[in-house]
Amino acid sequence: MVLELKKPRPIWEIIFSTHHTDIGLLYIIASMTALFAGGGLAMAIRAELFLPGIQIFSGQADFARFFTVHGTTLLFLWLIPFASGVGNYLIPIMVRYKDMAWPKLNAVAFWMIPPCMFLVWGGFSDTTWNAYPPYSILKAPGPAADMWIVGLKLLGLSSVLGAINFTVTILKMKHPDLPLMKMSLFAWATLATSLMIIVAIPTFAASLVMLYTDRLGVTGFFNPEMGGDPIAYQHLFWFTFHPEVYIFVLPAIGMMYEVIPTFSRKPLFSYYSGVVALIVISIIGFGSWAHHMFAVGMSFTEKTVFMVGTLAAVPSSAMHVFNFLATMWGGRIKFAAPMLFSVGAILLFFSAGAGGVVNTAMPLDFLTHDSYWVVGHFHLFVMGTISLAFTGFIYYLFPLITGRMYDTKLAKIHFVMTFVGIAVIFGIQHILGLYGLPRRVVDYLPIPELIIMNQIASFGGWAIGASYALFLYNMIKSAMFGKPANPKDPFELGTGVEYYYDYARREPHH
Amino acid sequence: MGHSTPEWVYIGAVTAILIWVGAESWNIEHTLEYAPPNSETVRVVGQQWFWSFEHADGTQEINELHVKEGIPYRFEIVSNDVVHSFSVPDFAMLMDAVPGRVNTMWNVFDEPGEYLIECREYCGMLHQDMRARLFVEPNTDNATAVTSGSEPTISQGTGTATVIAPGGGEVGTTGSGTMRVVEPGNMTQTTANDSAAGNNATSGNGTSSGNASSTAAASGPTLSIPAGASTAGNPAYAPDTLTVKKGDVITVSNDDTAPHTVTNGASPGDADAGKLFDTSIIMPAATAQIDTATVDAGEHPFHCTVHPFMTGTLTVQ
Repeated sequence: MVLELKKPRPIWEIIFSTHHTDIGLLYIIASMTALFAGGGLAMAIRAELFLPGIQIFSGQADFARFFTVHGTTLLFLWLIPFASGVGNYLIPIMVRYKDMAWPKLNAVAFWMIPPCMFLVWGGFSDTTWNAYPPYSILKAPGPAADMWIVGLKLLGLSSVLGAINFTVTILKMKHPDLPLMKMSLFAWATLATSLMIIVAIPTFAASLVMLYTDRLGVTGFFNPEMGGDPIAYQHLFWFTFHPEVYIFVLPAIGMMYEVIPTFSRKPLFSYYSGVVALIVISIIGFGSWAHHMFAVGMSFTEKTVFMVGTLAAVPSSAMHVFNFLATMWGGRIKFAAPMLFSVGAILLFFSAGAGGVVNTAMPLDFLTHDSYWVVGHFHLFVMGTISLAFTGFIYYLFPLITGRMYDTKLAKIHFVMTFVGIAVIFGIQHILGLYGLPRRVVDYLPIPELIIMNQIASFGGWAIGASYALFLYNMIKSAMFGKPANPKDPFELGTGVEYYYDYARREPHH
Repeated sequence: MGHSTPEWVYIGAVTAILIWVGAESWNIEHTLEYAPPNSETVRVVGQQWFWSFEHADGTQEINELHVKEGIPYRFEIVSNDVVHSFSVPDFAMLMDAVPGRVNTMWNVFDEPGEYLIECREYCGMLHQDMRARLFVEPNTDNATAVTSGSEPTISQGTGTATVIAPGGGEVGTTGSGTMRVVEPGNMTQTTANDSAAGNNATSGNGTSSGNASSTAAASGPTLSIPAGASTAGNPAYAPDTLTVKKGDVITVSNDDTAPHTVTNGASPGDADAGKLFDTSIIMPAATAQIDTATVDAGEHPFHCTVHPFMTGTLTVQ
């Protein structure tokens, strides 16, 4: 309805707009660009690991550049901007306000992302996405590492501005007739995410400044030669980035709360438990950061505290899974693409969570830490859970945004290939980790088991890549030539199903 | 809220599982945390891009660690430059080597054999090759060898430090400690290198450090590694093209602060790298020798296995 490909507007009108749907669309397009770019790097990484030895990269440093930019792109330029984009698109509609609270601030927040993309991709840093000192301050080549730092700094600023905007829009601009406890769960998820961003990101923003001055040599916060402590950086980093995991996953859960009841043609099992679980996780999520650092030489007490903190965060995620399954139970489920992706995301969310409990059990962590197990584990989260839910939501919003229907058969093929690919590659990576294969290596020992498992993993990865190429084709072709969707019921769920709220009744522009 | 009973049951079950996991972990980690008082201490130093080990009796090893079965070992793990992670996956041992800190970890190795030591934290250009080998030797000295889990009763001082080169030949002593020197690199390559080193040692042409006699140093050609060579871009070898007559003994002196090697081949990936001549690791301020009697005439590029960007050429006439 809003992109109006049938009634195209000039491109500059969208680019210079401050309307929330236009900004939302720009966010979505920018984030999908990052998805395909970052995914392309992953294909190259899997090609390198197909055989032991060094084939397509010139060495470990080049390989490190690839996985650093792959991780940075997909975490910070795909997951966060996509969630902001959908939030921009839907939140004002859901809280019944004409726009975001501060439309110009909203546009500023978006326009910080392209320079960040330029810095991250132009620099192609090799610091790994966590940039641990002293490597990142003493040895990492510039200007790549400096560009990475400035890029992430900008992105943090953009996230905080966006989060403030969301918080104010939801809490202050909400229609007086709409009580908080009647607000949609996606709006609740966005509120929880925004509050977490406001609390978590400034810590990392501060540590980026310290990292930068350390690189310039004027300070020594993290430089042991000047009396600093590299572990201090790791604490600051993970204080931001463990909550960040929930910042990534909560919007995905909010989207699944939109999709699952709609396609199950049944009311949500328990709205109340969904809200409680979202609030609880956004508080407890701050008490578990150091479980990423069990191996840096922490005391037994510290390890125990953070293990308990991590385990305490599990029940609220489990509540969401229960809520999804109980909603589907006995419903007349229609397995259209959004629903397929959401159900796939539930399954993989459960597996990733089970693997996470293994990671946090202290003695087992020393087996899995920094091995391929961890790679498999967090990819099950970011790819298997979050990206699947996001992709499903792209299909869900497609008729709303373009007024056309995507190719449903291609969408189903996309789902099957992606799901199988994810299960294969990230499942096998767990086993590779137990065989002792370290992360972040360009080369591995030519042991037959390692070779075979890496090759299976590569095929899984390429299946995901191929299915997303199909997805891109489907999106572009259907946006241009797809058959017009029925705006009242694009997924043919029958009467009585209400989705998109009252989007259709809204004034498109102001 | 009427249908919330199944949800409470489910949350209760999840919580019970989590409490069980947490309690078991606490219990096991508690035993793993504190080293027995009679453990032998081994100092582990991580550095771009190799591991070195120092035993309590002063024995030093590079990229090879020899321990005895059944004895509790306490590892003090430090780093000289960036963060590394010392990991022996077969024993689920993992501890970061962080500059400015001493991290400790202990273990009783209960099965003799050869195991892989790897670096698990990204540390730069040769991170993937930062591997070492762990040799757990059967403990024949003491019949009361314990296995992991039971109370260790063995006191220190079982090893008498007879020093054996990787291939079996004797290697000279340097100062108070003794040094076993092994070339860093792939596990699969080392057997060939080991036998070569052994042959050298038995034929009296030992090329490892510590054998430099002053007469040889004075007469033969010299190759020095200038200070600062470990930074890419600085002069690596002086001179970087060296011409000698076949049969000359070249004295290599390391004037830098980092360990280096002189190894034939343009890079560590060459098929015959290390086959013609190889000094193994030369520690800072130490010297080593290359005997060109066994090297064919012609031009031979050489490099440093620790810093592959350091290259030079040796011409044998």
